[in-house]
Amino acid sequence: MNRTIIRLTVGALLSIVLFGSCKKDPVSNLTNDESRIYVTNYDTTANFSSYSTFSIADSVAVIQDNQFAGRQKNGFDSLAVNAVTRLMQQRGYQEVGAKDNPDLAIDISRIYNTSTGVFSYGDYWDYYGGYWDPYYWGYPGYGYYDPFAVGVYTIQTGALEIDLLDLKNATVNGNKLKAIWTGMARGEQVFNTANVSNEVTSLFEQSAYLKK
Amino acid sequence: MKAIIQRYGVIAFLLLAVGTAAQAQYHNDLQFNVNYNVNIPSGSFRNFINNPAWKGFTAGLAYPVTSQLRVGLSVGYNDYYQKYPRQVYSEGAGSDVSAVLSNSVQQIPLLATADYTLLKKGLIRPYVGAGAGVDFVSFDQYLGEFDNPQSSAHLALRGEAGILIPLSSYSATAIRIGGSYNYAPYNRDGIKALDNWGIHAGVSIPIR
Repeated sequence: MNRTIIRLTVGALLSIVLFGSCKKDPVSNLTNDESRIYVTNYDTTANFSSYSTFSIADSVAVIQDNQFAGRQKNGFDSLAVNAVTRLMQQRGYQEVGAKDNPDLAIDISRIYNTSTGVFSYGDYWDYYGGYWDPYYWGYPGYGYYDPFAVGVYTIQTGALEIDLLDLKNATVNGNKLKAIWTGMARGEQVFNTANVSNEVTSLFEQSAYLKK
Repeated sequence: MKAIIQRYGVIAFLLLAVGTAAQAQYHNDLQFNVNYNVNIPSGSFRNFINNPAWKGFTAGLAYPVTSQLRVGLSVGYNDYYQKYPRQVYSEGAGSDVSAVLSNSVQQIPLLATADYTLLKKGLIRPYVGAGAGVDFVSFDQYLGEFDNPQSSAHLALRGEAGILIPLSSYSATAIRIGGSYNYAPYNRDGIKALDNWGIHAGVSIPIR
């Protein structure tokens, strides 16, 4: 009887584990577009209609693991600058040069963060006997000792960041350039040139207050 | 690879159950129950997930106190999931997030159970049951691909009714069909409970 109970218990636990492994993975059920999030923050005290002009940097800052890695202007960057310029103009703001005393400054950044870690091959070795039955080697009924196998992974995530700075009130703000709006896009293929227009448009669409 | 493991695992489990049933022809005290469940969220749980959990499962042992009353232990698994289309969510004054939101909930109720069979004999034997124990919950809310997992344990109560259909007049092995209401208080992000209705179909096998 004891053996029967043990077998049933093991069977039940095995079934639960199997059902558990059937858990629907929400991330694998997302398209690249659905994986991306768009986050905007704004200064609730700012009066966006009080600004008339803006200037936008023609290159993009690259920030790698919190370190400034220089300015670049690749195809994605140019499209991002153009999209932001177009949408700001559609909202009633006039683009001027940086030396023409703009009310607003716009910086765009590409932010990369790298994380590393270790993982074990537990899932692989847990079922090793299922792939390579010891019978194959002339040892029927034998099992395997799991090795202490680990692997190293490196993941790089990226984000597109757009910052709107208040130049008009810099002096009033204690000689500081205050960010009155920030927009960030994160997720799969965020730096794909095919996605940049949609990303910037999404950030503006959820910021209806951002208008002259 | 996972599909192969699952396929072989399920086959192994079925062989185990059938083997046990064959042995059990000679014993009829302790019962082993295994059920496939479909669980449907109810109450405030439906504000987060409407979709039924199609991958539900319970298994348990029931010891006969009398010819009609059995007490035992039960463990189960339910996987709830729902994806909502992209929407802008306010995260407080001046902060907005546009995202496809996915809610993923896994429940593992571990319950002490009691079942009472209303008829001692018959081709169809109604039963009622109750359970109380702990609900181990994994709640994961995704904004796009970014998640915020939380695991916790809570009180779980179950009320259940159904029928047992013995395979023959002399067999203690029976088909088990029924429904349940699972009370599962919870408290996170405005979710007060993970209550759900369940329907199940399975088999009850004597093992001693």
